[in-house]
Amino acid sequence: MLLRCRVRGGRIARALPALMLVWLTIASSPTVAGAIEPPVLAARVADGSLPKMEERLPQPPAVVRLEGAEQAPGTYGGQLRLLMSQPRDTRMMVVYGYARLVGYDANWLPVPDILEAIDVKEGRIFTLTLRKGHRWSDGQPFTAEDFRFYWEDVANNPELSPGGPDRFLLVDGKPPRFEVLDQRTVRYTWERSNPHFLPALAGARPDEIFQPAHYLKPFHPRYAEAAALAQKVAEASQRNWSALFTRICNHYHNDNPDLPTLDPWVLATRPPSSRFIFTRNPFYHRVDVNGRQLPYIDEVALTIVSPQLIPVKTAAGEADLQARGLSFENFTILKQGAARNNYAVRLWPTARGAELALFPNLNVEDPAQRALVRDPRFRQALSLAINRDEISQVIYYGMARPGNDTVLPASPLFKADYEERHAAFDLARANGLLDALGLRRGTDGVRLTAAGTPLEIVVETAGEDPVQVAILQLITETWKAAGVRLLIKPEERQVLRNRIFAGLAMMSAWYGLENALANADTRPSELAPTSQMQFAWPKWGQHYETGGRSGEAIDMPAAIELAELHEAWLKTLDSAAREKIWHRMLANRAENQFSIGTVRGVPQPVVVSNRLRNVPAEAVYNWEPGAHFGVHHPDTFWFADAAAPAKR
Amino acid sequence: MLRYLGRRLATMMATLLAISALIFFIIQLPPGDYLSNYIAELQSQGEAVTGDKVEFLKKQYGLDRPLVEQYVVWVTSLLQGDLGYSFEHNMPVSKVVGDRVILSIVLNVATVIFIYVVAFPIGIYSATRQYSWGDYGLTLVGLLGLATPNFLLALILLYFANLAFGTSIGSLMDPQFINQPWSVAKALSVLEHLWVPVVVIGTSGTAGMIRRLRANLLDELQKQYVVTARAKGLPAGRLLRKYPLRMALNPFIADLGSLLPQIVSGSVIVSAVMSLETTGPMLLKALQSQDMYLAGSFLMFLAALTVVGMFLSDVLLALLDPRIRLGEGSGR
Amino acid sequence: MSGRLPHYVDPAPFTVEETEQLTPEQERFYFAPNWKVMWWKFRRHRVAVACGAVLLVMYASILIVEFIAPYALETRNTGFIHAPPQRVRLFHEGALIGPFVYGFTYRLDPVNLKREYTADRSKVQRLRFFCQGDPYRFWGWGESRLHLVCPAEGGTLFLLGTDRLGRDLFSRLFYGARISLTIGLFGVAVSFILGITIGGAAGYLGGWVDSAVQRVIEILRSLPELPLWMALSAALPVNWSPLWVYFGITLILGMLDWPGLARAVRSKLLALREEDFCTAAELMGAKPTRIIRKHLLPNFMSHLIASATLSIPSMILGETALSFLGLGLRPPVTSWGVLLIEAQNIEAVVLYPWLLMPMVCVIITVLGFNFLGDGLRDAADPYA
Repeated sequence: MLLRCRVRGGRIARALPALMLVWLTIASSPTVAGAIEPPVLAARVADGSLPKMEERLPQPPAVVRLEGAEQAPGTYGGQLRLLMSQPRDTRMMVVYGYARLVGYDANWLPVPDILEAIDVKEGRIFTLTLRKGHRWSDGQPFTAEDFRFYWEDVANNPELSPGGPDRFLLVDGKPPRFEVLDQRTVRYTWERSNPHFLPALAGARPDEIFQPAHYLKPFHPRYAEAAALAQKVAEASQRNWSALFTRICNHYHNDNPDLPTLDPWVLATRPPSSRFIFTRNPFYHRVDVNGRQLPYIDEVALTIVSPQLIPVKTAAGEADLQARGLSFENFTILKQGAARNNYAVRLWPTARGAELALFPNLNVEDPAQRALVRDPRFRQALSLAINRDEISQVIYYGMARPGNDTVLPASPLFKADYEERHAAFDLARANGLLDALGLRRGTDGVRLTAAGTPLEIVVETAGEDPVQVAILQLITETWKAAGVRLLIKPEERQVLRNRIFAGLAMMSAWYGLENALANADTRPSELAPTSQMQFAWPKWGQHYETGGRSGEAIDMPAAIELAELHEAWLKTLDSAAREKIWHRMLANRAENQFSIGTVRGVPQPVVVSNRLRNVPAEAVYNWEPGAHFGVHHPDTFWFADAAAPAKR
Repeated sequence: MLRYLGRRLATMMATLLAISALIFFIIQLPPGDYLSNYIAELQSQGEAVTGDKVEFLKKQYGLDRPLVEQYVVWVTSLLQGDLGYSFEHNMPVSKVVGDRVILSIVLNVATVIFIYVVAFPIGIYSATRQYSWGDYGLTLVGLLGLATPNFLLALILLYFANLAFGTSIGSLMDPQFINQPWSVAKALSVLEHLWVPVVVIGTSGTAGMIRRLRANLLDELQKQYVVTARAKGLPAGRLLRKYPLRMALNPFIADLGSLLPQIVSGSVIVSAVMSLETTGPMLLKALQSQDMYLAGSFLMFLAALTVVGMFLSDVLLALLDPRIRLGEGSGR
Repeated sequence: MSGRLPHYVDPAPFTVEETEQLTPEQERFYFAPNWKVMWWKFRRHRVAVACGAVLLVMYASILIVEFIAPYALETRNTGFIHAPPQRVRLFHEGALIGPFVYGFTYRLDPVNLKREYTADRSKVQRLRFFCQGDPYRFWGWGESRLHLVCPAEGGTLFLLGTDRLGRDLFSRLFYGARISLTIGLFGVAVSFILGITIGGAAGYLGGWVDSAVQRVIEILRSLPELPLWMALSAALPVNWSPLWVYFGITLILGMLDWPGLARAVRSKLLALREEDFCTAAELMGAKPTRIIRKHLLPNFMSHLIASATLSIPSMILGETALSFLGLGLRPPVTSWGVLLIEAQNIEAVVLYPWLLMPMVCVIITVLGFNFLGDGLRDAADPYA
């Protein structure tokens, strides 16, 4: 109740409603009204140790309109409790905070957030304008100097970045021309268009092009006095200044409470700890329409527990907002605890192309295996011999979507053919294809290779997830009917990767496409050989990543087509052309089955305390893009009973 | 006597050195090292790790030097009291371990007390009333804890403690007390949470203790002086307490040296499952990610504890029994 | 000065047995071989005998697992995922109709996504005995379909419920027993051999051999078990078949267990080698190995057996712990440890508690071996 006044006489009493109406009208006008100080900061503002809100905010601040069916401006207060599984997960606060130079909006388009404006010419000239008066979390000004410091003294410093600037800053291997236009404007110019730049800035794991210069300069030999720097290095028991610098400057690791940030919540607990407290950033740049500075929630408490305990603790009501560590199987037990522990379980759609996809390794060393996996008919047969409906029924209560590892229906690029081609359960066709390959059946029903050995495929998997193993066991049976023996081999993740990279593993199992909600303007990097981490073609990916220095060049026409389409996409800026390229790539993948999908669209349980508001009832839960909760802006969530403390 | 002490001390040092080599070796044994695990993690998050970066990280972590050199560096710094640097937590090992040691001690002392309190009466009863149904029943109770896989029992007890008492699940205290200075409320919270891990870990230790006590007591009860005392009319209870029990307790106390490290290492898995703020989960994670200095230094600490414990008990026994220090080393 | 005292020497030949006449029962008692005396003492420990019988039955059933289990190892029932155990009844509406179970009615609760199974009293499914059921290969060769007990035609028989793929837990427990129970035996065999050899050498030869072995034992005892397990298991080559991994695990468990046995052997040998019979054998020219094998070992074989029996439980528990850490056996190999992997989540505790049955099996086996070992050890000193 913000307006209190003692009603003294009859006249004032009668005028009161009118007065209130006037006040409310003023208060709800779209311009930022009188600033309302967060109560936790009031004491510090009163005694002068903290400037008033008008001086803390940049001009103009980012005004967040919360108009929607489930959204409304909120009030201050409360502590958000989250559960994480390792101390390293303090980095999730950078992800959830989602304070980015440009961020994705609800339509997955990058819009400036920290930046006041960004101007892109020809896709290669990026002019970034900062907000005037924007400050770091310790009150120091955030200016173009922070960009210059990063560019000259970090990215181009041979000891800190021995390989030069990060990949997203290079086009054709060449860095941009960097200019500081004035105190709050910088410009990056490349010779050709750089489609990686904006997605990198808006990513879940942000690629940052600025760092707090005022804090880091004393650790840099160019600015610090040698003796003082040497002493700092010795005190921290590091080998040299670059080791010390790398250790303290990493914003994403979020393990240095002294490092200034622009995030909504700032780390207040010094590691090591099993519980981390994040307090509000008084200089955060976003406000709501009522004059409240975001975030609404004063504190975030991250408790680190073993991954096994996360579902149990969530079901006991010890988390206010939880999705990480919860899987679809936990839904029943979460529902059971919901009423007693004052929370609700929502199911959010995910954006993976497949919950489990099989990747035949086209770079496998063994020549006989290589001949087999490189034949598209073989891969198609394997795909046709998977009963996807049964997988959905048995494992996911029929709530998953059977189909190929491709884009989801919610994507504008979706076509039913991409999902269904070679994806129906058709043993007759599968057997026909395998027969056509000349694989006769042996005495026990298992087909024989050209060398006369039984056709065995060893699927190597990280094996940590019993659900994955269960799906593979279902596939084992249907493949047996097609005469293929599947052997499941669980391994340590590291061993699995090494074997794939070296070409020793014939087939592996992993998640499918990371972003199956792509549109024409999303980079199609997942579809083409671009990275060693792609299990279907690690050596071709490595070849691309290292610019030809290691790995192997692509020698398969279908994959060459994908690589060329990828390059064409990078070069063009025309949306229509990009869309055509996407469709050709998706058709190629559906036909060639480079990754054999199973089911997708498995919903993710999200537990939301009944006291927490502004959390979408249903929204996409995805890492890249989406930053899990990030894109939904947790700084706009608020507690409806902030005055009353949480149960535990 | 001094010669005996000197000899034992020298062998103890040699043992510790051999143990340190063994520890270093077994931490390195699984394929890969901390760096490759770390790089794999970076890559799985989409960060490109080029060959240059790998070299850079190798130099930073000191993993570019040959294994023998790494070992020598580690041992020499151990001797100087420097426990090394943890890659995973990005800080000196002593800082990582420091806070957790207190709670580890609390947990382990409580467990030892629990074991003695449970094993003592059961052991005595078993020995005096051998082959009775009470004997069987109590031994069953004592063995039950040993037989049950700890990690499952932990999960079950945690869940039901939450249902019945509203205790928050896992950890040794309510979340809001973590990192807070000690207070009455915090101590009460710790007590509230302590009983589950103590029961789970302790029950597996009671079986061994019961068996030892029972065997020792049975041996003593067969001896001549007990028969004599009984024949002379001493009441059974006083007889039991005054003579055989003390004799039977000797190996009991001598085993204390090895009991403590046994509990510490036996509780690692359970502590990890229950997310206790003790050294167990830290050790497990360090072993899995091959965080060499953290795992190695902590294991050396445990091993040193054991060796010193055994040394002390040997010294005590030697003081008591001259045959031991004179008879050692006679060959054939 | 008078000479010898009068004395009388009986010229008749002398036999030992004449001095003391033994009745036949006494003869049986005093001349009984070692093992017989042990057995008599062992019989007094009733619980140990019972446990021994139970364990014997369990190990015997391993031989005919395929026959006893109602279903084959990998049989799935897609319509009965996470079904609860079915009770075997004898009376239906007051009439005795032989053993049967009630069929299930299945309903998916859409709100909680919970599968609900209720016993349908109208579906009476009589059990069949010595019937034709799922096909299996007996011990890897020889196909057969004969089962001890099968569900009714078109019916179900889930005595302990089903798991997430609809596989019968009761059958899988039997198949898992085959691996879990034998791992203990093989592991103990390994540690037995190591312990006797090393402990024997140390105890008998003494000197520097003894000191060296003592130091090694001390080192191994000071190292916490866990990192050794983890390191050795992670070092097992990746491309080994499940069978080789199984033997590798037993080897590891055995290798970490021999110090206890070696110490017992050593202390016993140290005591026994001073005995006269040992000296006599040496003087007659027997080699050390013969002395150890023929004269010393039999004297405390009983102790060794007791210790070995008490080590088996720790092997079984070790296997489950390794599986928990993801280092031991993994699916599709089936052992109790692997079955427990599926049970270590909160859903198993709250929603599907029958998945915890492998824990009960482990408990029973471990308790059985412990009581049996206690009985054997008590019996090992028959004259005590």
